[in-house]
Formats: sequence, structure tokens, C-alpha cells
Amino acid sequence: MNLKATIGMETHVELDTKSKMFCSCEVVETDEPNISVCPTCLGLPGALPVPNKTAIQYIVMLSLGANCKITNEGMFHRKNYFYPDLPKNYQISQFDFPVGVNGSLEIVLDEELHSVEIERVHMEEDTGKSVHMGSGRIDSATSTLLDFNRSGVPLVEVVTKPVISTSKMAVAYIEELRQLVIDLGISKGKLEKGNLRFDANISVANEDSNELGTKVEIKNMNSLKSLEKAIDYEIMRQSKQIKKGESVIQETRHWDENKQVTISMRTKEGSADYRYFSDPDLPNMIIDEEFINNSKKNIQNLPTDKRKTLKESGLSLSDSNYLDKGDKWLYDLYLSTVENTKDSKSTFNFLTGELQGQMRKAEIDELPDWVDSEKISNLINLFETNEVSFTSAKDILAKLLGEDIDPKTYATDNNLIQSSDDEEIKTLVTSVIKENQDIVERLEDPEDKLVGFLVGQVMKSSVNKVNPGSVKDILLKELFG
Amino acid sequence: MSENFNIDDISNLASIELSEEEKAKLQKDLQIILEHVDALKNIDVKDEKIDIHPLSKVLELRKDESKESLKHEDAMMNSPETKDGHFVVPPSIE
Repeated sequence: MNLKATIGMETHVELDTKSKMFCSCEVVETDEPNISVCPTCLGLPGALPVPNKTAIQYIVMLSLGANCKITNEGMFHRKNYFYPDLPKNYQISQFDFPVGVNGSLEIVLDEELHSVEIERVHMEEDTGKSVHMGSGRIDSATSTLLDFNRSGVPLVEVVTKPVISTSKMAVAYIEELRQLVIDLGISKGKLEKGNLRFDANISVANEDSNELGTKVEIKNMNSLKSLEKAIDYEIMRQSKQIKKGESVIQETRHWDENKQVTISMRTKEGSADYRYFSDPDLPNMIIDEEFINNSKKNIQNLPTDKRKTLKESGLSLSDSNYLDKGDKWLYDLYLSTVENTKDSKSTFNFLTGELQGQMRKAEIDELPDWVDSEKISNLINLFETNEVSFTSAKDILAKLLGEDIDPKTYATDNNLIQSSDDEEIKTLVTSVIKENQDIVERLEDPEDKLVGFLVGQVMKSSVNKVNPGSVKDILLKELFG
Repeated sequence: MSENFNIDDISNLASIELSEEEKAKLQKDLQIILEHVDALKNIDVKDEKIDIHPLSKVLELRKDESKESLKHEDAMMNSPETKDGHFVVPPSIE
């Protein structure tokens, strides 16, 4: 029996606004609990919500960036459930009139473009944070501590259609969405800070079946690595069950990072159980063409545009995607450097291999002020034209990251320039052959290990650095014709 | 006629514990409410504009500016129990 997996992603994006979604409390990043709270975000009786205009603008930008149709007349609903971190006992969310519907995001997997259909993009508010007290296991907690600083922070939920088929595709989708919100400037997009939180709905069914299998929702995946592992684990778990002839239960499971398994949390509540109804405190929300056009003005250079520019410079799709998802300074540095070097592959390799590698080693996050595209392209040109060896280029780069030097001057002053003068090399080769007649007589063919020894002797005898490749070529020509 | 509902599910979702007598009474009351809703279902509204506000008011949006919040002490004032600046509630693990 051949089985296939179908995955849908639900992602919460925390918007980067100054104030919360429905009140004017500042959005804070602090360990000090309950310092940015008011009657609205504490759910005190009589407090009224007033939506944040910037948050609405941001969700419209995200919907447009994800190629969604904007709902011109939307509304907010109450999603009712009881949990201590939700003091109103309902979350203000959207139900049947979300801001964005029917969109798609283009993602890159290896060397191929795929499209992930987006079902909806809706606005809601975050909950507070709970800390469970007590020793040992979470289910033996003695009390729960609540901090409402996060309560009411604007959240956008982006829901895909069930169109993802592998864990790698799910990861590529999250990376694309993350880059989109960063490039739009609407969220910090830091996974480790919880700016992006994702759940995966996974089902497994017979490959020939037109119907989806029973859906299981997986929560608590805090990194892309755990997302990938949790999906792979869950597909395996459900497949095993189906092959044994057992049925899969519709439920919510939680990814246990330590045990590397998914664990059943609770039976999933259906949407009817949330008793959604329109929030009488919040009248219909009109998003007219003027509002949409004003939001559009803030959209520029999205991940797809950046990838296109990178591809046009000569890079492959996966290399373009790598730079697209990297730091902005690296993207800018690549584009200005390749303009000088005119060599996309070697520029890409040098920046992502050598430069990033050395920066990681030296624990530098940002490029020093004095390192610009002119210096980097000069350095790339030095080794590409064989003026210095690749090893010397790496040494020069290390020096350049520490102090403001001109690569060419440094190479000259430190005797790193290789001679490209064939006549000079030929003179050196001739004298080495003469001095090592005993070895030359023992040479059998061009593959002989002794050729390497002779190349070494020429290198040693040179005052100026010579290119070992050129030395070998000339030496072999002299010896074997 | 609306489908029968399970009063246990409803009390569970609402986190309200009910005695057997209360269950029987509420089952009856809620059934009557559902019958009223069924009557509403018969009204033809397909050409009506959906409006949730009695005055057809349009939502007003607020500028993204942060203002002073409650003082921490005031926010915590009515809480029966606090610890290290947190509200303390009975253990609640879902």
C-alpha cells in the first residue's frame, strides 16, 4: 500500500507595532511581568477595544505580499474558550470574513519553484504567558503564574491549504513567509523570540485516494529543525497505524523535543465548540481601495523580486534563494560586488564560503565599516586573475576583517603577488632541471610524484611568488615536450 | 429542527459543573432556544447586507501610539495572590 502525506500550515506572525492590537499599551520585550497592561488587555469588565491602524495596514501588506484577495468589508469575531492566559475568556479573531483570502506563495525547493496556496490571512490578538510552578513534571504543577505583557499584541494568522507534501517543503514555506514579513518590515521574524509560531496539520491517506486522511494537529515546534523532525515523525507514526489497519484519531499532539516524538495533548475541539460570534464591540471594518493603495506604497523588493534580481546576475535558483533568505547586508554586498567582478559564481562562493566562514570563526555578526564591495571585488579579482593564490586571498581577507587595508597594496607589501611572467618561470624551471639531473633521469611519466618535488623546488627558488599551476605546466612542457 | 446536543459537552466547554437536576432543566431550556433559532432560519436573508452593529457604524481605527499603562501595583491590586509580579492561579495545564 502506497501512502501519501498532506500537510497544511498555520502560522502566527507577531507584528512589530509600537502599541498592542486593541489598546495603547506598549509592546514590550522584557522579563519584568505585568508592566504593560491596562483594563482592555487584562479583560476587565467594561473595557472597550479600539483597533490599531498600523496593524491593519501591516496585515493588508502581508495579504498583498501573499497574493491574496482583500476582503473590503471584514469583521471581528469572538473565539470563546477558557484558559487563564486569556482573561476575557474569548480571543478577538476573525472567522468568515478574514482580511486576505485565496493567495499563494512561491517557494524554492532545490532547483525548482513551487507554489503554496494560502487559504486565509486573518487578524487576531496574542494571549498572555503562563509559567507553571512546581517541581518535576508539568502535570504535577502546584500553581500557574500569569504575565499579561503579551496579551493583546497583534498577531496575524496565515493558513495554507492542505497542499504541502513533505517536511522539506513545509520548512521552505516557513522560510519564505519569514522572509516576506521581514522584507515587508512588519515583523522582526525571529523564530527564537516567538515572532513566528507554527502548527502543522498532517494527514496520511492512500496514494490513489482523492480524500484526505484524518487530520492531526502538531504544536510546540520551536525551530525549523523541530518542524522538519516532527512532520517526519508524525507521517511515520500515522503510516504505521494505517498499515496495521488501525484508524488515526483526530487530535492535537505536541512535539516533545527531548524524546523526539509527538505526544497526544487533547481531543481537538471543532470550530463549533469555539462558539464564534461577531464581536458587538467592533463594528464592520471597511478596507477600501484608498487604504489598500496606501498600504501598497510601503511594499517593495519582496523575496520573489530579490530572487529575480539575483538570478539575473547569473546565479542558480538555489543560490539565489540562499542569498534571498540571508542577511540584507550580504544581499547588498553580493549585488554591488558582482557588478565589479562580473563573475556570479565565484563572488557567491567567496562571500558565502570564505567571508561568512571567517566571520563566524571570528564571531563577527556585522561587516566592519571599512569592508566594502570595492575591496571585496578587488580581492576576488586578485585570485581570479592568479595574481595571488587562493590561500593568500584567504589570509588577506582575514587581515581585512581585522583592519582597514587595501588588498592589492597589502599583497604587494607582503610579497604575495604571484609572477605571471612565463619567461621568468621558464628561467627558474631550467635552472631547477639543471640542478636536479639525477631526479630528472628517474622521471618516468608526467604523473610521477617527483614532478611535485620539482614544482616545489621552483617555488622555493622564486623570489616573487609564482603560480604553482603555471610552474607545473611549464615544467612538464620542458620535460616531456 | 436543530440536532440534539449533549449537555455534558456544553457544560465542559463552559467549564461549569452541573448537577443532574440542573442538566435536565438546562437541556429543556436550551432546546427551546434552539427551536427559536430554527424559526429564525426560515427567514430569507440572502439579499440582506451583513451588519453586526445596530447603528451601521463603521469601525474606527486608532493611531499606533503607546500610552501610559496601568501602574503595576494598580494592575495587581485585586488579585488574591501574586508572586514575583505575576498573578497566581490554580495549576492549569491543557
